[in-house]
Amino acid sequence: MKSQQKEKESLFSPRYRKLISNPLSLENPITVQVLGICSALAVTTKLKPAFVMALSVTVVVALANVVISLLRNGIPSRIRIIVQLTVVAALVILVDQVLKAFVYDVSKQLSVFVGLIITNCILMGRLEAFAMANKPWPAFLDGIGNGLGYSWILIALGFFRELFGNGTLWGYRIIPQSFYEAGYFNNGLLILPPAALILVGTIIWIQRSRNKNLIEEY
Amino acid sequence: MQESINIFVKSIFIDNMIFAYFLGMCSYLAVSKSVKTAVGLGIAVIFVQVITVPVNYLLNKYMLTPGALTWISPRLADVDLNFLSFIMFIAVIASMVQLVEMIIEKFSPALYNSLGIFLPLIAVNCAILGGSLFMQEWEFENFGQTVAFGLGSGTGWALAIIAIAAIREKIRYSDIPKPLRGLGISFILTGLMAIAFMSFLGIKI
Amino acid sequence: MSNSYIFRYAAILVVLVAVILSSAAMILKPLQDKNIAIAKMRGILEACNLHPTADDAVQMYEQFISREVVINPQGEEISIYDVKSKEFVLGTTRAFEVDLKTQLKHKSAGEDYILPLYDFVSQNDTLLVIPVHGRGLWGPIYGNIALKTDRNTIGGARFFHDKETPGLGAEIDQYWFSDQFKGKQIFDGSGKFVSVRPIKGGAGKLPESQRIHGVDAVSGGTITSNGLGTTIDHVLGSYVVYLTK
Repeated sequence: MKSQQKEKESLFSPRYRKLISNPLSLENPITVQVLGICSALAVTTKLKPAFVMALSVTVVVALANVVISLLRNGIPSRIRIIVQLTVVAALVILVDQVLKAFVYDVSKQLSVFVGLIITNCILMGRLEAFAMANKPWPAFLDGIGNGLGYSWILIALGFFRELFGNGTLWGYRIIPQSFYEAGYFNNGLLILPPAALILVGTIIWIQRSRNKNLIEEY
Repeated sequence: MQESINIFVKSIFIDNMIFAYFLGMCSYLAVSKSVKTAVGLGIAVIFVQVITVPVNYLLNKYMLTPGALTWISPRLADVDLNFLSFIMFIAVIASMVQLVEMIIEKFSPALYNSLGIFLPLIAVNCAILGGSLFMQEWEFENFGQTVAFGLGSGTGWALAIIAIAAIREKIRYSDIPKPLRGLGISFILTGLMAIAFMSFLGIKI
Repeated sequence: MSNSYIFRYAAILVVLVAVILSSAAMILKPLQDKNIAIAKMRGILEACNLHPTADDAVQMYEQFISREVVINPQGEEISIYDVKSKEFVLGTTRAFEVDLKTQLKHKSAGEDYILPLYDFVSQNDTLLVIPVHGRGLWGPIYGNIALKTDRNTIGGARFFHDKETPGLGAEIDQYWFSDQFKGKQIFDGSGKFVSVRPIKGGAGKLPESQRIHGVDAVSGGTITSNGLGTTIDHVLGSYVVYLTK
């Protein structure tokens, strides 16, 4: 009884909290570990799809981590990767079906990129590195943490690209008409793919100049 | 035929997997430190892409689209297995990669030695799954077009990784602000290359 | 671990995943179908210059679309569905449920086919809505064209193209493009079908007498513009028998 209580108390112990907070900065999956940008940059032209994409990835990472962690003692090591892929693909299909049923407009904008969550390197990375060796609860937190670390970058990109590229946020006009009449122009470049890459580069730059430990030697 | 050539050109230069859709960025950034390895990975991607896109096209056409199963029995006309496409595509890709690896190992050990280490990496390369998903989304009309698309998108990806590898080899000797070194500058360079590639939008095809 | 364990493990996993996925697909299918239907209704209403949202599309559709008509290749009405009373006046096929893409495939294969159209009636407008479907270079183009009561002048149009080069590329789903179609005519003075097509470099390039059959093409989307032109030509062409009746 006592030991059970102890375990419960430790659900949010400092070690567990680190699982969530570390991926937000020091071990950010995008800017530090270079994982998982593929499936996401293309949907950051607007805030809404970026947000839905971020949410989907977080859900999939967290759940996949839990499932694999529950299965970890039974998975035959020879078909480990295939089992992981199957679990991930099944979760992604579920997410895709739910999106199509409840937010059809956004799911159309996300088009193939939801499916590409399957090959998102964050997923396989976390499954191999963490879920295979840890209990479900820490695995869940690790998934949420990594998902969030990934999310804030996507949402930041979506925010800048939509605000300055289109003058709107979440589809609502933010920059008033009078600005345009006074000669303000939307920065069309931000809507185009290259801008996403340059913005990510800039985020990495800012992050690394504030935290010198992350600097690479070429 | 002309349509296929259009698709080939467009998928290399205009709808480039890296510059327009950012697909396969993980290996693009991780394996682009030297031109030699970049060439190896690039060729392997072209190879796998040319095989998986057409195979998945057949799978999609004869199994997954609504009513595709009528070739087995007309009674199956209402069956819609589309929700299985992600899992089927990734299964085909994983097994194709495995198969290609075994075939190369058996028949050309030299090629295997240079490509071998990259092949397992490719199964989880977004550009490969992306190619198959785009094939489904864009509803290509015939087998030839999917081969053209597979070849084109693979070549586009290879071109991108070889180019960035060449630049990264040279940039070693440049004085880049410290926090920007490595990952940061690679992103910005890719962005600049993407802008350059946008000039191809003007091609009249 | 023995091989038999691996096989058993894999088999159980596959069955489990299959059960979960198919039940999810079955449970969510009605909702997804409803979304697709709403998107289709919005497309039809937008061609009639209305701007329904996802919430009021069904209600507006029932309010303004009076009849759904299905015609055969000879231009005869074979099925009429009254949207308000939800009853068939003739036949048993709802135009809304006819998949134009499949029917056009039947047509090019030389098989029997049917075509859908919609009657739109509001206080200011009476329009005949014709759906169109075809290809750009990347992916399908679809949309609707609404003809005025003379069955010649276009009263409104709206097109969609799911996949285009992000940012640039063909913006045929923009209103500035589809609004150009208003007032254009699909038959020439002598009653011959000439269609309406996007003209590269602008409709102004055409001789004066032809301008009523052309609109400005989108820049950077030659193939898509041409594809749309061919699509409109091809699909409207299939309706000519009916329109000239």
